[in-house]
Amino acid sequence: MSANSSSAFSRRGFLGFAAAAASAPLLAACGGGSASQGGGGGGNGVIKFWDMPWATPAYNDAAKKIVEGYSPASGNLKASYQTIQWNNFYQTFSSAIASKTGPAVSTGGGFQAFQFEKQGQIAYADKVIDELKKNGQFDDFLPGVLEPFKSDKGYVAVPWQLDMRVFWYRKSLFEQAGVDVPKDWASLLEAGKALKKVGAFGFATGSGAGNNIGNHSMIMMMVNNGGGVFTKDGELDVMNDRNVEAIEFLLELVSNGIVDPASVSYTTENLNAMWKNKKAAFGPYVLGVPERVGDTSGDIVVASPIAGPHGDKGGLVFPNNIMMYTNTPSQASSEAFLVSYMGQLKELWRQKLMNALPVFKSITEIPEFASDPNNVKIVKEWQPIAKTFASQGTVLNDNLAVLDGGQALNQFTQTVLTGKTDARSALQAFESGLKSVIKK
Amino acid sequence: MALTTAQTGLSRARRGVAPGGAGRPANRKSKLTAQTSRTFFWLLLPSVILLVLIHGYPLIEAGVQATHDGSLIEAGNFVGGENFATVLSSPAFWKAAQFTLLFTIVGVFGSWLVGLGLALLLRTKIPAGGTFKVLLLLPWVVPIVVSSTAWNWLVATPDSLIPSLFRNLGLGTPLFLADPSLAALTVMVFKVWVSFPFMMMMISAALASVDSTVYEAASMDGATRFQQFSQITLPLIARSTYISWILMTIFCVNDFPTIYLLTGGGPVDATTSLVVLAYRTVFQDFATGPGVAIAFLMTMTLVVVSVLLYRQIRKSSVE
Repeated sequence: MSANSSSAFSRRGFLGFAAAAASAPLLAACGGGSASQGGGGGGNGVIKFWDMPWATPAYNDAAKKIVEGYSPASGNLKASYQTIQWNNFYQTFSSAIASKTGPAVSTGGGFQAFQFEKQGQIAYADKVIDELKKNGQFDDFLPGVLEPFKSDKGYVAVPWQLDMRVFWYRKSLFEQAGVDVPKDWASLLEAGKALKKVGAFGFATGSGAGNNIGNHSMIMMMVNNGGGVFTKDGELDVMNDRNVEAIEFLLELVSNGIVDPASVSYTTENLNAMWKNKKAAFGPYVLGVPERVGDTSGDIVVASPIAGPHGDKGGLVFPNNIMMYTNTPSQASSEAFLVSYMGQLKELWRQKLMNALPVFKSITEIPEFASDPNNVKIVKEWQPIAKTFASQGTVLNDNLAVLDGGQALNQFTQTVLTGKTDARSALQAFESGLKSVIKK
Repeated sequence: MALTTAQTGLSRARRGVAPGGAGRPANRKSKLTAQTSRTFFWLLLPSVILLVLIHGYPLIEAGVQATHDGSLIEAGNFVGGENFATVLSSPAFWKAAQFTLLFTIVGVFGSWLVGLGLALLLRTKIPAGGTFKVLLLLPWVVPIVVSSTAWNWLVATPDSLIPSLFRNLGLGTPLFLADPSLAALTVMVFKVWVSFPFMMMMISAALASVDSTVYEAASMDGATRFQQFSQITLPLIARSTYISWILMTIFCVNDFPTIYLLTGGGPVDATTSLVVLAYRTVFQDFATGPGVAIAFLMTMTLVVVSVLLYRQIRKSSVE
């Protein structure tokens, strides 16, 4: 125990020193305004807000403007804005938290709040939720968005955007192949065979370096079939019949050449090129595919959810969230800032900076968002049936961080996409890989 | 020359001999020794402090993490060698070790052979030699992110340039990054391509110090070209070769970006090296202890290999 304490102290001290030393030239370069930053969660009386580059640089400029425009009520602290790059972000947050130089409030990885909650670093957001109830925003949340964040001890974080996986398709390729857009798995298989004849792929995906769409495709198809990796109680449940059926179907798509054999190595850029070059006809992807690939012809559109063999429908959603940390100069100020920031979110969609769904119904109704029929369709048809990585359950936890992007899922995905396996063997290897890293 | 003088001076100082001559009073000798030691101590102190801070502390911290079951924030409970046992009993570790070994062997000797060939070629007078040298340096100079992106464009999809060439030649459409064996080969070829300029420069520098009269004498003695190469060139560049092998071994074993940017360690772990495995274990599976244990094992292996190769340098009698 004493050894641990000693180790923690020295690590913290060193990291603090290192962070301070490293930040000195950066802060100097940033000018006087940044000099007020420093210390845990916002030394010198500032709430440090760390944000990820969720979209183009224009997004970060707009978010920074919101933060810098925040005028706290009397007694509360002002806030500062810092962009944190995605590369090694977990290490960045961990080091900063360990050295007490981390943020007071932040966005971050989808399951980050749960990871840091387990280590006692997260401040619960119940008072923020109370405030949202008072100002009407609580009732403005889209259905099912808030519940996943409620743990036994309180709200771990507050959702602010929904990163969805939905099926997209290219109209002209379906017309060229003379088939209808799939409504269920059977028609997806038939459409895929027809599309292959015109040189297109009926299930576009990719699991190369840095591309997690393939991983999400696997879970999405399980969810689409009423399956999922966990039980309702959060226990591991990889080998259920619905999952086996989903993977068997995916392997059938692979063996029929409906999945591009090279997709196992596709980066997101390769996948974008497939959509742009009219090689991808149908497949799961993020929001805003036309903008992403630079096709403004209106040919790439969102498909309606398809039904599995038992009639189930489902999509995948990653509810990104804003979390507060225990290391803050003022918890009340952290809460006040977060409430205020939630109230300003609309501006990000008004400026069309987000490639994600908003969590508030009112934002989905603003003209800047609702003028895109793809957005409207996703909100209307996909959001109500979308499930998280916790499926078949609903409550999120830190184990999902291991699932999302972990070695077990990635290896499983690549095994399936190469087609050199059977569903049960692949799922068994996946399950044992997960068991070895998931903490009880 | 300056170094020789300095070494002589140092040698004298160590022996307690003053620069002016061999025979001086003993108290004078000890004063000089103490003074020199103090000077050396103060000159070295900043470097020692920096080394301890930058290398020593993280190593100690890594040792703590490797023997504990916690996270990046808190080390957790002491578990002794459990993380090492977990790692060493994992098939994934041995698969990664096997790939790392192959990747390193191909990387070191592949780049050395290409570098040697080009260094020898550059000794001859060729048209536009300067431009040629600059072009040959490009793979080393260009940031690895750019190189890997370029290679991705060349090989990733069936419509990429190289698969298209194969198809047009009637050789099928190889999926260089999607087929496990081809992906491993592609990553190794990429590593050789990125590394050969470094080898070429090392060998060129060594060759530049070789007196051409040695070859003239050998030629007059009737030595063939191959005999000149094997009996003169290779021994004369042996030290440089061993040093470049040590460095390239370290570069290959520790090479994260070349592999990660091109294949991410896939497909199906076919190109997962130990350093990629360590990264994924810590930052994707969040298993800090086992991940750091892998890094520790890598470091120990590299130290052993480096020491062995360094001994070869000392054995090499060619000055």
